[in-house]
Amino acid sequence: MKGNNTIYKEENNVEVRDIISLNLPNAPEYVSIARLTLSGIASRMGFNIEDIEDLKVAVAEACTNAIKHGCGKDRNYSIEFLVLKDKLRIEIIDGGKGFDYKKVKEPDLTKPREGGLGLYIIKTLMDEVQIFNNQKNCGTRIIMSKNLGES
Amino acid sequence: MILNIKDQFDEEKGRWLIELEGEADVYTVNNFKERMHQLLDEKMADVEIDGTSLQYIDSIGLGALIGLRGRMADQEKVLIIKNIQPNVRKLLNITGLDKIFIIEQED
Repeated sequence: MKGNNTIYKEENNVEVRDIISLNLPNAPEYVSIARLTLSGIASRMGFNIEDIEDLKVAVAEACTNAIKHGCGKDRNYSIEFLVLKDKLRIEIIDGGKGFDYKKVKEPDLTKPREGGLGLYIIKTLMDEVQIFNNQKNCGTRIIMSKNLGES
Repeated sequence: MILNIKDQFDEEKGRWLIELEGEADVYTVNNFKERMHQLLDEKMADVEIDGTSLQYIDSIGLGALIGLRGRMADQEKVLIIKNIQPNVRKLLNITGLDKIFIIEQED
C-alpha cells in the first residue's frame, strides 16, 4: 500500500489528490482487506456511514468478480483508490479472460437466482460506473466513483 | 473476517433458529451454505434467521439465501429473516429480495 500526498495528475480537470494502491491475491479470504482499506480511506475523506457501507459492498462485488473471472489462484488483481476533491474513484483491474459486459443481463428481480446480482448492485450503489475489457480480450477493468456529501 | 453461526431447533415453533454474527461474504459463505444444508438434511423445517449481529452481506451472501430458499420452497417451508441492520435491509430492498423473503423487524 502506498500513499501519495502530492497532486498526482490532472485528468479532464480532475484533481487527483492521493492514490492508494492494493494488490491482492485472487482468493476470497483477502476481499475483507479491500473492504477494510476502503473504510479507512472513505471515513478519512468524510463519507457518512451509509455511503461507506455502499462503497464497501460495491468494492467487494468488484473484487468478487475479479476473483471469479480472474486468471486463477496464483495471480493477483489490483485496486486503486483515487482520492479526488469531491469524490472517491476506485479502479479494479484483473488479468482474467474478461467477460462481455454488454451481454450481462439485468437481473429479473421477480425470479431470484444465486448469481448475477453483483454488477447490478454496483450500478445501484455508485454514482458512476464504467467497465472496460483490456486489449486482446484479456482482463477486465472497472472504474467506479461515488461523490462526497450528496445523500 | 468471520461469520459465526449459532443454531437451535425450536420445538414449539417447529423451526430452526439461526443467529448470524459477522460478515457474510465470498469467503465465509461456503461454511454457511454447508451448515444450513446439514441442518435441513437433519430436519427439513422453516428457518428463522436473526440478523441482529450480521454486520455485512453482499451478493454472494444473498445468493446463498436465495439458494436456501429455493431448496426450502420445494418442501413448502419458509425462510424468515428478522432484526436486520439498515445496510443489510438496503441491499434486500434494491435487489427486490425484500419481496421474496419474509422479513420481520422487532423494535
